[in-house]
Amino acid sequence: MAPTNKSTRRTLIGSGVLLLAGMASVSVQADDARQIIRDRCLACHTESGDRSTPSFSRISEQRKTPEGWQFTINRMINLRGLDISADEKRELIRYLADTQGLAPSEAEPFRYLLEQDTNLVEEGGDPALAETCARCHSAARFGLQRRTTEEWQLLVNFHMGQFPTTEFHSLARDRKWYEIAHDEVAVKLGEQYPLLTPAWDNWKQAVKTDLDGRWRVTGFVPGKGEYDAWMSASKADDGRYNLTLEGQYTDGSPLSGSGKATVYTGYEWRATLDIDGVKMRQVMAADAKGESMKGRMFLAAEREIGGALNAVKDTQAAAVVAVMPSYLRVGESTELTIIGQNLNGDVDLGPGVKVEKLLDRSDDRIHLIAKATGSEGVQSIQVGKAELASGLAVYSELARVDVMPKNAVARIGGLSQMPKVRTAYRAVGYSAGVDGKPGTEDDLRLGYMPASWSIKPADEIAAEDKDAQFAGSIDAAGIFTPGDDGPNPQRKMSANNVGRLTVVANVEEAGKQVAGEGSLIVSVPDFVRRVLD
Amino acid sequence: MKLKNVVKSAGILGALGLGSVAAQAMADQEYLLTITRPNQLHVIDMSSNTIARTCDIPGPFGTGSIALSPDNTHAYVLSNGTKDVYGFDIRNCDITFKAEQSSPTEQVISMQSIAVSADGKELYTVQNPIKKLSDRFEVEQPRLAVFDIDDGMNAKVVRTFPVDRRITKIAVTDENEVILGGADLKGINPNTGEVRMVSKLANWEKGPLWLPPDAFAMHSQGEQMHEYIMPYVTAKFDSEEWNFETAEWWWGISRVDLKTGKATRDEVLPFQFIIFNFVADPRNPDILYGAFNTLSKHDISKKETLIVHQMPHTYYDLNISGDGKTIYVGGTSSDISVHNSDTLEKIGSIQLTGDMSTSDLRVATIRN
Repeated sequence: MAPTNKSTRRTLIGSGVLLLAGMASVSVQADDARQIIRDRCLACHTESGDRSTPSFSRISEQRKTPEGWQFTINRMINLRGLDISADEKRELIRYLADTQGLAPSEAEPFRYLLEQDTNLVEEGGDPALAETCARCHSAARFGLQRRTTEEWQLLVNFHMGQFPTTEFHSLARDRKWYEIAHDEVAVKLGEQYPLLTPAWDNWKQAVKTDLDGRWRVTGFVPGKGEYDAWMSASKADDGRYNLTLEGQYTDGSPLSGSGKATVYTGYEWRATLDIDGVKMRQVMAADAKGESMKGRMFLAAEREIGGALNAVKDTQAAAVVAVMPSYLRVGESTELTIIGQNLNGDVDLGPGVKVEKLLDRSDDRIHLIAKATGSEGVQSIQVGKAELASGLAVYSELARVDVMPKNAVARIGGLSQMPKVRTAYRAVGYSAGVDGKPGTEDDLRLGYMPASWSIKPADEIAAEDKDAQFAGSIDAAGIFTPGDDGPNPQRKMSANNVGRLTVVANVEEAGKQVAGEGSLIVSVPDFVRRVLD
Repeated sequence: MKLKNVVKSAGILGALGLGSVAAQAMADQEYLLTITRPNQLHVIDMSSNTIARTCDIPGPFGTGSIALSPDNTHAYVLSNGTKDVYGFDIRNCDITFKAEQSSPTEQVISMQSIAVSADGKELYTVQNPIKKLSDRFEVEQPRLAVFDIDDGMNAKVVRTFPVDRRITKIAVTDENEVILGGADLKGINPNTGEVRMVSKLANWEKGPLWLPPDAFAMHSQGEQMHEYIMPYVTAKFDSEEWNFETAEWWWGISRVDLKTGKATRDEVLPFQFIIFNFVADPRNPDILYGAFNTLSKHDISKKETLIVHQMPHTYYDLNISGDGKTIYVGGTSSDISVHNSDTLEKIGSIQLTGDMSTSDLRVATIRN
């Protein structure tokens, strides 16, 4: 242990003395992070190999996301007595995510977990992995890790040691769980999610672009609505980005915030901002050029309450990024807003769509009234030379409404130390498509639509148990708030306010109601808070 | 001496209860034993349904697993996350035995498995050991561990023999074979380590249309019948389409007579609702009672459910008085519900100081 040396070194880095040359900074940071591992981890882990390219037991045989490494270090602190400062922890997570992270293509199938958007049912996947691992975890939890086969086997052993009841659970005790997990499933994981991959080799070699600059941002905040904004990111000495966000919701109310972002592994954008007094988190992935980012923004205190987030960098070129709303009913004069940057030139909303009136125009938003006379279809829209492919859905009749999320879990809380877990809903409209039948593959997705919201019992048993009365309520914005936790003497067997509900969205159009349904389970509090489920 | 203030723990009724023990000192006396959080062993006088005494168990709660000495004067309990074993003289709460199974380099837990030899001299546990290396765990073979009860407060393992994984409840036959409740029911000779198959479950040969049984003995409380019951759930499919909707679902039991070591296994009842634990009527081995969200009574000779009594909350386990007249339903929460075995009507309640959680509900009969 050499805390004095180390803290001195970091002070120097912080003051920029050692950051005179950009080239030097990478290796100095790596040296620094390795020194943290040597100082903090080698009481238990061992170092081998060359000092300039060291291998640390258990650590060097894994790759994972920044959240994955955060999770691991939290475990070392909570379970193994690791003593590490907040600064050291931050530095170590960044170093490990940068040097032993996931390539964009490796993380891509499981971004929903990183985005903390967990109200979905995972489908497909290997049945052996589902039965052995995904009976407790999400499939994304292990899909976002890469390990050697031996390391996957050691992970099985970790479960046996840390959670000895694992092999006694239902769906474990009826089989040779340990032998299957260790000898078969871990081997499969080693093949499916190996430490060494061409994707990671390529990504390590790829040139990474700084993400500073001005970003045209669009997104959705439950209870507030869709918004468009400008986000500016300027890189600070510590490698993080200082952020400001200014914009407006579709109802015209302003949105304003500031915060900080860290970029891991060259593309994983993680930001925390204070937006109008509320702490929010952004999780996005940048594209290979560093010119666009996609992800989700959610309440820091309530990850279930969030919405999509898109950012397109201002490269001085004209760009159309969104049309709000994204649908236009044939024959109906409708206000539309085109969101973009450096917009100039004529507005072309596609064949059969006429701009009836230009209400307001600037170089980043155009407000107009349009009317479609043609046939159904998804149109590209153009402003001057800038084009947004599939930007506007022209349709004649709303035929189907999907409730998103289709399957969700809310959790009672509030009276104990556990907060309530709410669910934020949106309704997506479709027209029937060419075949005239809703619910078929050719349905035309129109986009998110305003809806009136209600709940009802999921089935006869839920009705008998009065689940819709006890389990919670949904507001006009589509936010479901579950009931209080703890036994309720008014219920059969003094049950908690749990329940199985159907969430109904009603979208009204031209005097006609189209309804969609989602399935909601109102469950008990989840007392274990994980970085990744 | 860990005798708690009787008046404090059980109020005036508790004092009266103790009084009745003294009055009946010449007769056999049944005590109901259970453990509540944070970690107390309660000795309940079944003649008055009041707490006679409450013994503090050192360390944090385990799972509430309890084993009795053959003369029923001593109870052995798993504590400290099922790593440690403590022995109590239930007549006065004296701690007479302690075994720490884990060491700094080896983590050992026993999943419910604890039993005392037929002669009362040895204690058996099934140990699930994990070697704790500096940066990894190494999973070791489970083993039957034998302790000498006379070693008292610093008991160490005197013999071990390898056993299967996933063993829960164990029991000892009159011939001192240790019944191991795992994927199959096996028996081990604790002197030689020789293992025999007692009742096949995971490896049964019932044909391809039968679902492999999900067998699990979290509790097995057949002391009144001197038997060991391993319940299981299975299903018989009508074809290899494996339609769960049309399959016949069954409760089954593997049942070992602890006098002879002989076992039977059969599907005894259609699966209609969840039962966590079965106990037999000492007057008629075909009459079983079961508990969970309901208290139920069954005649397994006819594969029939006779009575179902809705309970006000979930209970994990149950036991019965030696005369078969009174059912005690416990586990989960902090009250033991007392019922008439003829009608299943509730006739009383015993309020405890904490939640029983997964704890056993055992009957200790101290014979005069």
